[in-house]
Amino acid sequence: MPALALPDEVAAVLRGFYTCEVTTVNRQGEPITWPAVSYVDEDSGRIVCAVSIAFPVKAYNARRHPQVSLLYSDRTGSALVDPPAVLVQGTAEVEEVLEYRPDIIGLFRTVAHRQPDSARFSSNRVVRRLFSWYLFQRIALRVTPVRITTWPGGDFDLAPVVIEVGG
Amino acid sequence: MTDEGLLALAADYPSAVLSWVQPDGYPASVRCRVRRVASSDSFEFEALPGLAVARRGPACLLLHMHDEHLEGLRQMVLKGILGDGPAPTGWPVFTVSAVVTANGRPDTDRMPHAAAPLHMLQFFLLGRRQAQAYLRKRGSPWPPIPYDDIARAVRGDADVPSEGGG
Repeated sequence: MPALALPDEVAAVLRGFYTCEVTTVNRQGEPITWPAVSYVDEDSGRIVCAVSIAFPVKAYNARRHPQVSLLYSDRTGSALVDPPAVLVQGTAEVEEVLEYRPDIIGLFRTVAHRQPDSARFSSNRVVRRLFSWYLFQRIALRVTPVRITTWPGGDFDLAPVVIEVGG
Repeated sequence: MTDEGLLALAADYPSAVLSWVQPDGYPASVRCRVRRVASSDSFEFEALPGLAVARRGPACLLLHMHDEHLEGLRQMVLKGILGDGPAPTGWPVFTVSAVVTANGRPDTDRMPHAAAPLHMLQFFLLGRRQAQAYLRKRGSPWPPIPYDDIARAVRGDADVPSEGGG
């Protein structure tokens, strides 16, 4: 039994969409959204993404204001047919990636699979050291879902379906 | 090219992600189609999901796109305010207060890539400078990164490394 039990079509989106749109809230109470690759950690039921230490503002935001959201609304690259759009709202735990735990390796593996050029890029010993600030020196956001909202077929004009999953 | 140039690029995107903060503190987002009001800092919505219709206040529009190999990346964030549009409908209008590009550039929304080596170099210098600032603020060096162990684990032919080792 997975730690995050979801309808199959919703789970497929969380695992299959190449990117999601992550929103944090800044000190002024404004939302800031950026695209990210995410990874669902089956053991913990948390969704993981990470930012470079060169661009840490989103991590600072989530540390100060842990309520975040992830919208899965762009199916480009996924093989899914007529998938729903999915909004995950949850609480984020923010931590520098100093240990390369299974969820972080899972995230790296996901990026390498979806973006083959990045795998070639990071396999070069010189390049990976030059760009370690981008590739490896990262801050993880581990999101525990609280509420999930879905739009059938990705049609935002339809009434959404809300799934309370925790909190 | 200034913000005006970046705003003009918004027309390239078939849709945008609108985000706001709910009263319970959680942010929320929907995907929608937007249209810039000619020569202004405002965007109208061609249609707006029910979840967003009544929202007013601080908001942002994310514009991003990529191909099926996560290449051809373009993205920018428009920060601003959702306010009432003109009568009689009052349909909300998004007014831009700032444009933020992920590449740190004021002239393009394209992320650096190998075919544009000058952009790549500029992005490298920007990132390295900002990473050094982060590490100075952190006050202690980042532990050694076990590059080869990570690479083996990512390929799936080794256990996951748990600590830095050089």
